[in-house]
Amino acid sequence: MATDAVSYPTFPVAVPAALAWPAVRKVQSTLGMAATTAMDEAKRAQARESEMELIREAQAGSRAAFDALVRQYEHQVLRLALHLTGSEHDAEDIYQEAFLKAFRYIGNFRFECSFYTWIYRIVTNLCLDQLRRRKTRREDRAVTVNLSGDEIDLLASVSDDRSFSNPARELDRKQLGEKIQAALDKLTPRERMVFELKHYQGLRLRAIGEMLNTTEETAKNTLFRATKKLRLQLAGLR
Amino acid sequence: MSCELAHEQIVMAAYGELPGEQVNELERHMAGCPDCAAEREQLLALKELACAHPVLEPPANLVARSRLKLAEALDALPPRRWYQRLGQRIMNNLSSLQAAPVAACLLLAIGAGAGSLGGYQLARNHAARAAAATALNAPPQPLTVQTQPQAPGAPAAIANVSSIVRQPNSHVVEVSYNQLVPRQIKGSLDDPAIRQLLMLATRNSASTGVRGDSVELLADECRAGHGCPATGIRDALMVALRNDKNAGVRQKALAGLEPYVAQDVRVRNAILEALMNDAEPRIRTAAIDILQPVQGDTSVRQVLHSVVDTDQNPYIRTVSRQVLSREPEIQ
Repeated sequence: MATDAVSYPTFPVAVPAALAWPAVRKVQSTLGMAATTAMDEAKRAQARESEMELIREAQAGSRAAFDALVRQYEHQVLRLALHLTGSEHDAEDIYQEAFLKAFRYIGNFRFECSFYTWIYRIVTNLCLDQLRRRKTRREDRAVTVNLSGDEIDLLASVSDDRSFSNPARELDRKQLGEKIQAALDKLTPRERMVFELKHYQGLRLRAIGEMLNTTEETAKNTLFRATKKLRLQLAGLR
Repeated sequence: MSCELAHEQIVMAAYGELPGEQVNELERHMAGCPDCAAEREQLLALKELACAHPVLEPPANLVARSRLKLAEALDALPPRRWYQRLGQRIMNNLSSLQAAPVAACLLLAIGAGAGSLGGYQLARNHAARAAAATALNAPPQPLTVQTQPQAPGAPAAIANVSSIVRQPNSHVVEVSYNQLVPRQIKGSLDDPAIRQLLMLATRNSASTGVRGDSVELLADECRAGHGCPATGIRDALMVALRNDKNAGVRQKALAGLEPYVAQDVRVRNAILEALMNDAEPRIRTAAIDILQPVQGDTSVRQVLHSVVDTDQNPYIRTVSRQVLSREPEIQ
């Protein structure tokens, strides 16, 4: 990748030392770590096994098994859809479409990847379609819209103890949030998706590549482009 | 490390995607590069800013509404017909098979092999029992003619029926037949009887191995100069070179004829025929090598010219061209 000739704008924000690099894990005793790791592994293996059982039952036609799978992943799906679209209505539509597709095509699931990756692949593609439609419609992304049609400021629903003691700061945060949203809207749908999955959802680039049906290298380059663009958009922010 | 690479790695490191040793290398670079150190600070500031747009837990009523709507939609789907369920089951089984192609192919191969072997053994045993029963007890019936030689130690097989005579006014029939009796002989390669059998073996259409072994032994005798008369062994080798179906056998025959290319025109002609017509490129290439002592011969040069123009193999065309260009060296 080639860097631009223009130097990047600077942010006059002090960075806490704790954010220098992703935090290092607390050191534990060797024995304790080994025991914890073994237990975690056993639990994960058990969870995987029970999920595979559920999937097989759902493939065989069990509605109860499919409902159990939906319960496992519905919060993650809604969280992602809501944060990307900013609209409860759109998030609900994405939820509906994603799980209906999953129900229709669960027979095609080959256990070649995790069910999480598979369902997320469906959801991310639906979200990408939604973002592309929004790009053409240029909707106002600064606020959310509930089913009654009332606009709701997302940030207003964030509980923040500081708001009661410092309304001015609360306003600042709200405005900052709006600016961030606006900057995110300037990204292409793919850049937005990669940034969302990496920064907000914390997924590995390899997993992101799988979900978007591309390579880890492409996801890496997309993330790099997204961060560059965001820095340009948010230049001079206070 | 260049600053361009460092900028990429700063982003990866900030998101925990950079391996440990590369992080150390990056740190060392940034310790000596204030621009890149500033770049990192800016990126971390961006990450901090982006947190001003937090990911929220979906409200409980949104979850409940979505769940209900989904349940209604799933209930509204028509139930799958039996053929759809059957088709799905078949596809699931096929997908399992697809997921283990090697195991599936192995199972298939083992099953087919076991079945064929079992069937062959059964048929053979049945035929042997039937032949024994016929020989001992059965009333006169048409005999099975066997023309292939039997393995050593096996019961004598009937090679052919030479005559059938019916006694007048009688049910008695006289049948004359020839039997194949398995035999074994040991001896030196100089032994004419052994040589005779080896030459016969070069025409054994049933077994490539037998033909290959016999041709190889005879070819070794010729190369060693152990009595390889014009008629006899050389003839057998030329026949093998011209007609054998197996390229390995033809190659052995060609090697055996090499010592006689200069003195025996028939051998030269057989090798020229191989150069023109053999389907195997390595045999044609070997023929060019073997013809080196007689490259001045007119017929050889004519064939080489033809090979330069018509051979499908570019290497053979090149080699033939090179041989023809060495004219001053030719006899």
